[in-house]
Amino acid sequence: MIKKVFILFSLLLLIYMLWPGPGKIADFAPLPSSVKSTLAGDNIEQVSNVAAYFSDNYRGFVVPYYSKIYQSLSHLPFPPMRLNHPPEYSWNVIKKHTDSTYMEELVYPLRDSLYVNGFEPFYEDGSLKFWGSTKFTEGSSPDLWYTKATIRYYPAGTTVKFLVWGGIIFSIYWLFRLGKRIFI
Amino acid sequence: MQKSVTLLGRILFLLVLFLFVFIPLYPKFPLFNVAGTFVAIRLEDLMIGLTVALWGIYMVLSNQFKTLIKDKLFLAILLFFFIGGVSVFSAIFLTHSVTPHIGFLHFFRRIEFLMLLPIAASVVKTKKQFIWILIFLGLTVLTVNGYALGQQYLDWPVISTTNSEFSKGLILGLTPGGRVNSTFAGHYDLAVFLAMAIVILAALFFAVKKIIKIPIVILAGLSFLVLMMTTARLSFAALLVGILSLLLLIKKRKYILLLVVFVAVVLTYPSQLRDRFISTITVNIFHQGQRYEGRTDDQKLRSQLNIPTLAIKTSSNSASTSTFATASGIATDITPGEPIDTTQLGVYRSFQIRLNIEWPRAITALKKNPFLGTGYSSLGIATDNDFLRSLGEVGFLGTAAFVLVLLEAAKRIISGLKNENTLIRFFSAGVLSMFIAFIVNGLFIDVFEASKVASLFWLILGLNLAALKLKE
Repeated sequence: MIKKVFILFSLLLLIYMLWPGPGKIADFAPLPSSVKSTLAGDNIEQVSNVAAYFSDNYRGFVVPYYSKIYQSLSHLPFPPMRLNHPPEYSWNVIKKHTDSTYMEELVYPLRDSLYVNGFEPFYEDGSLKFWGSTKFTEGSSPDLWYTKATIRYYPAGTTVKFLVWGGIIFSIYWLFRLGKRIFI
Repeated sequence: MQKSVTLLGRILFLLVLFLFVFIPLYPKFPLFNVAGTFVAIRLEDLMIGLTVALWGIYMVLSNQFKTLIKDKLFLAILLFFFIGGVSVFSAIFLTHSVTPHIGFLHFFRRIEFLMLLPIAASVVKTKKQFIWILIFLGLTVLTVNGYALGQQYLDWPVISTTNSEFSKGLILGLTPGGRVNSTFAGHYDLAVFLAMAIVILAALFFAVKKIIKIPIVILAGLSFLVLMMTTARLSFAALLVGILSLLLLIKKRKYILLLVVFVAVVLTYPSQLRDRFISTITVNIFHQGQRYEGRTDDQKLRSQLNIPTLAIKTSSNSASTSTFATASGIATDITPGEPIDTTQLGVYRSFQIRLNIEWPRAITALKKNPFLGTGYSSLGIATDNDFLRSLGEVGFLGTAAFVLVLLEAAKRIISGLKNENTLIRFFSAGVLSMFIAFIVNGLFIDVFEASKVASLFWLILGLNLAALKLKE
C-alpha cells in the first residue's frame, strides 16, 4: 500500500513539476493603462526576464493581476503562492539599487517564480509617502505616473526540474528505509 | 602494510587530539577571504580537511570502510550530505536563491563539521587515548577561561567576527561594558562552549577520585564566572537544563535543591546577566518599560515605514534639529516604540530581530520549497534558531535526515548510561546532557553553524561513541 502511494505521489509530483508554464517575461501581459519603462536595467537587454511599468495601479491591484496571469499561463487549477519579502530583497532578485516599497513573490513551489516589486512614493489619496516623493515620467511623454511596478521571472529548465525531482524521490525513499532501521 | 596502517591510526589520533585543542584556542584569523561573504576560510578548515583526507585513506587501508558504509549513523550522515547537495543544486538552478560559490562554501562547512563525528568515533581506540583527550580538553577550557580574564582585566587582544570589518582579523580591545569572547570571536559562542564544558565537568566530578574533584570544581567554577561575564542568557538557561538533565540521568536528585538555591543566589546578585534576564521578562513578555516617543513629526512618521531602500532626509544644520536627533543618554538610532533604557533596548532588539525578520525569513523559505528549502546560505548569516534555519535551508527532507543523525547518536550515547565503567557511564551522561543543553541553545542561536562550537560538539559526540567501544 505504502509503495503504491509513494509511486503515485512520485508521478503526480513529476507531472506537476514538468507541467508547461510561462517561458519568458514577454509571456506576461503589461499592466493595464501603463507605459513600459525604457530605463536602463528595466529591460531584458541589461537584466534577464525583467519588465517594468509606470501606471497608477497600486499593490492591491498589481499583485492579484499578475497572480491571475501567472495561473492562466501555468494552466494549473490553483493560484501561485504569494510570499511577502522585505523591500530591500529587491536588490537581490530584481537588480541592485531598485527602489521599493513592497516586494512580493508569486511562486509555484518546485517550478518557477515571478517577483513583483512595487515603488509607490504616494498613498492612494495622493499624499506623499516620504520626503522627496516625485511622480514618474517615461521618455519625453508629458504623462505623470504615481507608481512603478517591476516584474522579474525566474524560470527553470526541464532537465533541472527532473534532476531535482529525482533527488527528492530518492531522498524520501532513503529517509524512509533508514528511518525504519533507526526507529525500530 | 599493517605497520603503515597502525602508524596512520596513531597520526590520526594525534591530529584529533590536536583539533580538540586547536579549534577552541586558535583565534578566528582569516586565511582566505571569500567574495560576497565575511565567512572566511581559516587554518582550522585546512587542518580538518587534512584530517578528513587521511581518515578516508586510513578507513580504506584498514578495511574498515566496508563496515562503516553499513553503519546506520554513517548512512544517516551520508543521507544528510546527499540532501544538502540536492538542496544546493535546487537553490542554484531551480529557486535561484543562492550565489553558487557561497552556497557550496556553506555546504562544505556542514560536511566539515559533521565529519568530525565518525572520525573521532573511529580513531580513539584505547582508554589511555580517551583520558589524554579529556586532560587536554580540561587544559583547553582552562586556557580559554584564562584568556577571557586577560581580555577583561589585562586588555588582551580581542579577535571578533561579529561584523564584516572585524572578521578581517582585526586586533581589537575590549570596549567599556563590552563582553569577553576569549578565543571564540563572539561572546555567544564562548558561552555555548562554556555551558558544554561545565556540564561535562559536572558529570566527571561524580566519576573521579576525590583528589581530581578539586581541580574539576575550580575549573567549572572559573568557567561559570566567565560565562557570567558573557551575560548570555540563553547559554545560562541551557546550562541549567543541562545540569538538571545530568542530575536526573545519574540519579543525584538531591543535588537539584542545591542547583535551585545556586540559581536563586546568582539571579539575586546584581550583574549584567541578571539585568538582562529581568529586561527579557519586563520588555519581551510583559511589554513594560518606558518607550521612546520620537522628537519630531518626521521621526514619528518615518518609524511607521519600512522602506530602507528609499533615499531619506539626513541633512541638518545642527545635531538638535536632525531627523535622528535624540536626547542625551538615548541611543542615536532609536525609533519610536523602542525602550529608552539601553539594556532593555538591546534585549528588545535581540528578540524583535528574531521574531520579525530572521524567523519569518526561514518560514518563507520553507514555504517556497518545502522538500529542500532554499539552500545553504540563502537565509544570510544567521537565523538564530537552528531548527528553523535547517527547515528554511534544506527543507523537511534535510531536517529529517539531520534529526536521524542526532537520534542515532543519542541512542548510542543512552546505551552508554549502562556501561560498566564508571568514567564512561558518567561521561556518557555528561555528553547526553551537553547534547540537550546544545539543543536548547539551538532554539535561539545557530549553534550547529557556529564553526568552533559545532566542530567541538561533533568531536565530543564522536569521542563518546569511541569510548563505548574502548579496550583497556
